Amino acid sequence: MVDIILNQAPGELPFALHIVEDAVFAAIASIGFASISHTPQRTYILCALAAALGHALRFILMNGDFFHLDIVLASSIAAFVIGVIAVVCSPTVKVPAEACLFPALLPMIPGMYAYRTVEALVCFLRTSTEELASHYLYLLGYNGFTCAAILLGMVIGANIPIFMLKHISFQATR
Amino acid sequence: MATRKSYETHQDPHQEHTRIGEAGKFLASYTSWLLGCGATCVRVEKNVTRMSEAFGYEASLTVFPKHISLTVTDSETGATRTYIADTHTCGINFNLNSDLSALSWAVADNSLSLEETRERFDKIIGERYTDGAQILLLASLANAAFCRLFGGDVIAMLIVFCSTCAGYFFKQRLLAHKFDIRLVFLICAFISASLAAGAEIFHWGTTPEIALATSVLYLIPGVPFINAASDLIDKHYLCALSRFIDASVLTACLSAGLYLAIVLMKINPIW
Repeated sequence: MVDIILNQAPGELPFALHIVEDAVFAAIASIGFASISHTPQRTYILCALAAALGHALRFILMNGDFFHLDIVLASSIAAFVIGVIAVVCSPTVKVPAEACLFPALLPMIPGMYAYRTVEALVCFLRTSTEELASHYLYLLGYNGFTCAAILLGMVIGANIPIFMLKHISFQATR
Repeated sequence: MATRKSYETHQDPHQEHTRIGEAGKFLASYTSWLLGCGATCVRVEKNVTRMSEAFGYEASLTVFPKHISLTVTDSETGATRTYIADTHTCGINFNLNSDLSALSWAVADNSLSLEETRERFDKIIGERYTDGAQILLLASLANAAFCRLFGGDVIAMLIVFCSTCAGYFFKQRLLAHKFDIRLVFLICAFISASLAAGAEIFHWGTTPEIALATSVLYLIPGVPFINAASDLIDKHYLCALSRFIDASVLTACLSAGLYLAIVLMKINPIW
């Protein structure tokens, strides 16, 4: 299955396999980001699980036949679900919920929008014609605002469960 | 307000003043470390209140961008002490956050004395967390997986793995030599993006643009952004704003590194 996944472009994969692929790579990414922020190793599995479920859910919400949500709303809902998983499961590994939250959330960061924002800025600053400059300014605004909206939706969506379930969130390390 | 534990009863006012002073000093130090390792304001407040109540005092905390101000009050005698401490800069560390949070519960549940609590605290903060080869490898793997999530092919993943490895290696070395973190972000983003730009220059793989875009994502300051949102929800607006500005400055630095790489490597985006 790994061969099938790696030898095809993501767009060519069957829907179910694409969900699995999304979940697996999100899990790998979350473990790496957990290590960067010195998360206790006993938390890695929980981070991977939350990231896999969250990312797969976002994929389904954006690409499933029933939903077709936009990326901002889908990311916010997926981040909320990741937040709930982190809060509910963190007492089992005795770490603050935030320790699971960040590594699980990071694979959903809108990296391509961020990159296109920088790219649009480069093009805008190097363009001399008004027509092209307007186009790049539009791309700068579109990508920049989309990136900011996704980030805002994600961080607020992920934090709400911590405040909703305070009695669990702040007793996890007890 | 918890009643004071029997073993801590003091009659001598001088001793009492010394004790509240010691407790205040310890709590200020605890707060400074907990904030520094990336805990949210709501967690810091809860932990500090829990511990001070266990010691028999009331605590009120103000968080400034680089300092904290902690006032400890003995409601029985009315004695008050205020301490101001610099926020400790130790980088994001959830190991430390977990251990310090667990310590606050140990104090509340097991009635630890101030001396014993300080001993445990010193042990926790004395632990060394190495940023070694294992983290370098896991971070590189994570960024390569990230590349796939954005639609990169196997070649793009390999390029991202190598460029992250190089960039993160420099990040570890430069931070160990106490370089300014903003400069480190700029340099590392430039190194990673310049290496990943090779895919575009030499036409490696079918998704060179994705390799370039994801090569710097390991530097995204995610924790400060998430903490800023948490502080915003909890109405710690000053701290939320300072964390957001901190994270934005780092993001601007990594964007500047990426920008430099795109310009110097003469990458021409086509739309």
